Amino acid sequence: MAYDDFRGFLDTLRKEGQLLHIADEVMPEPDIAAAANAAPRLGGHAPALYFDNVKGFTDARIALNVHGSWANHALALGLPKETGTKEQVEEFIRRWDTFPVAPEWRENPLWAENTLEGEDADIFRVLPLIRLNDGDGGFYIDKAAVVSKDPADPEHSGKQNVGIYRIEVKGRRALAIQPVPMHDIAQHLHTAEERGEDLPVAITLGNEPVISIVASTPMEYEQNEYELAGALRGAPAPLSRAPLTGLPVPWGSEVVIEGVIEGRKREIEGPFGEFTGHYSGGRNMPVIRIDRISYRTGPIFEHLYLGMPWTEVDYLIAANTCVPLYQQLRHDFPEVQAVNAMYTHGLVVIVSTKKRYGGFAKAVGMRVLTTPHGLGYAATVIVVDEDVDPFDLPQVMWALSTKMNPAGDLVQIPNLSVLELAPQAVTPGITDKLIIDATTPVAPDRRGTYGTQVRDLPETAEWLARLRKLTAAR
Amino acid sequence: MSDTTPLCPRCAHEAIEHITGSPVPGVWEVLQCGRCLYMWRTSEPARRIRRDAYPEEFMLTPEDIGTAPEVPAVPPLRRPGAGAATR
Repeated sequence: MAYDDFRGFLDTLRKEGQLLHIADEVMPEPDIAAAANAAPRLGGHAPALYFDNVKGFTDARIALNVHGSWANHALALGLPKETGTKEQVEEFIRRWDTFPVAPEWRENPLWAENTLEGEDADIFRVLPLIRLNDGDGGFYIDKAAVVSKDPADPEHSGKQNVGIYRIEVKGRRALAIQPVPMHDIAQHLHTAEERGEDLPVAITLGNEPVISIVASTPMEYEQNEYELAGALRGAPAPLSRAPLTGLPVPWGSEVVIEGVIEGRKREIEGPFGEFTGHYSGGRNMPVIRIDRISYRTGPIFEHLYLGMPWTEVDYLIAANTCVPLYQQLRHDFPEVQAVNAMYTHGLVVIVSTKKRYGGFAKAVGMRVLTTPHGLGYAATVIVVDEDVDPFDLPQVMWALSTKMNPAGDLVQIPNLSVLELAPQAVTPGITDKLIIDATTPVAPDRRGTYGTQVRDLPETAEWLARLRKLTAAR
Repeated sequence: MSDTTPLCPRCAHEAIEHITGSPVPGVWEVLQCGRCLYMWRTSEPARRIRRDAYPEEFMLTPEDIGTAPEVPAVPPLRRPGAGAATR
């Protein structure tokens, strides 16, 4: 089923036992972040957290860890909460086949109930901001979908962008944003700054859960995130025009903040505990001026904790990183069976593939590096045989244990691009990358003494189903 | 409350601005350093709000701020009339 707003999804989480309401009074810091840090440790069925009794606030509602388990991710896609990881990725691939699904324009957006403008547009009046990690430079907003357009081609809906970026609160009406050069909004800002212009943005918070998924999907530059949301939802994404900027925003957002990234201005930002599990910053980064805030009555602040993996961000950018890489590799190499890019947004990518001939697996590995996402990620690519499940790490370790000979299976390519947050780079933004060929060599590559591989007995699948039934019936 | 936090915990600067206060009066304040822009709530643990308890690895110096890289770099202004064909 498709959710049209954030509250509809919270209702489903509540009914499914996947939303934990913490009614006791908590401190804004460190309690809320520490609870969200702890929640994913509860495992694959970890719940979302909901706080509404926060010391010093009279009317705070804060939801975290909303995507922070495979159960919640499944429910976000309208799947049963028991759906396995690989099955969720496969369903994501099937739904992407219906892309693009045009959005639906709706009147009377839910966020139009209240407005603050000009000097009154004070973010502290709307959001119960809280701080996350000890070394963070301030209050962050890290789960908002930020909407912008290409200033050189503003009517091209494919070139508009909806993305999640780290945003630091720098003042009552001032924010900072991190446009990583590999991400689309950085291209928009670059064009605006070359022209000496500001870049209008709409920052939308508290969205239905598929919007958060598409906003963190590494799509191609001219692909429209809302049209992917329609495909994943199985129904057009409901949109409205933001009143000040005219930017297309979700109809059901809790809060819509409008303003501009001030062109050609930089200011000290950070540090911030990032998705890499390391702090980054302080750097001089672009600044946003808030001009207008629209919000639902009694807005719920959706927030995301990120830290030592896995935390919510790892669930949010798991399936949606695997799928576009899979699609792009399959386009050139139909032998590719599956792609696991769930680790740190694909800084490690595991690909299973059939081999056309000797050396083919290395070519697949090199193609990963030249995909749009690979330009900023894919520091290590592991290629495994078609019968190895890249989502089954013990099988991947078996492939590394037995199929990989460093003499011929490690390809190290110097000085490639990587996002500046990747901590292993000697110069931020430049790193060597590694392809590990852990496939069985095929002719004319005759290395190794492989003999014949042991395969599952033909009757094993039948017995697996039987054993599952018997154990479930106990 | 600001008299109990006379220094920025992070860079030891003395000019601290009051940004906002708790909706329930007097429970906490949000403060910001005028130099390194560190922002914190006065009810946070000491390790986040007191200079003498602030972890060394998170401290910033004026030199750190002065040498912070620009991300992303500001591009050169394009001359008016220079066409998009150059891109």
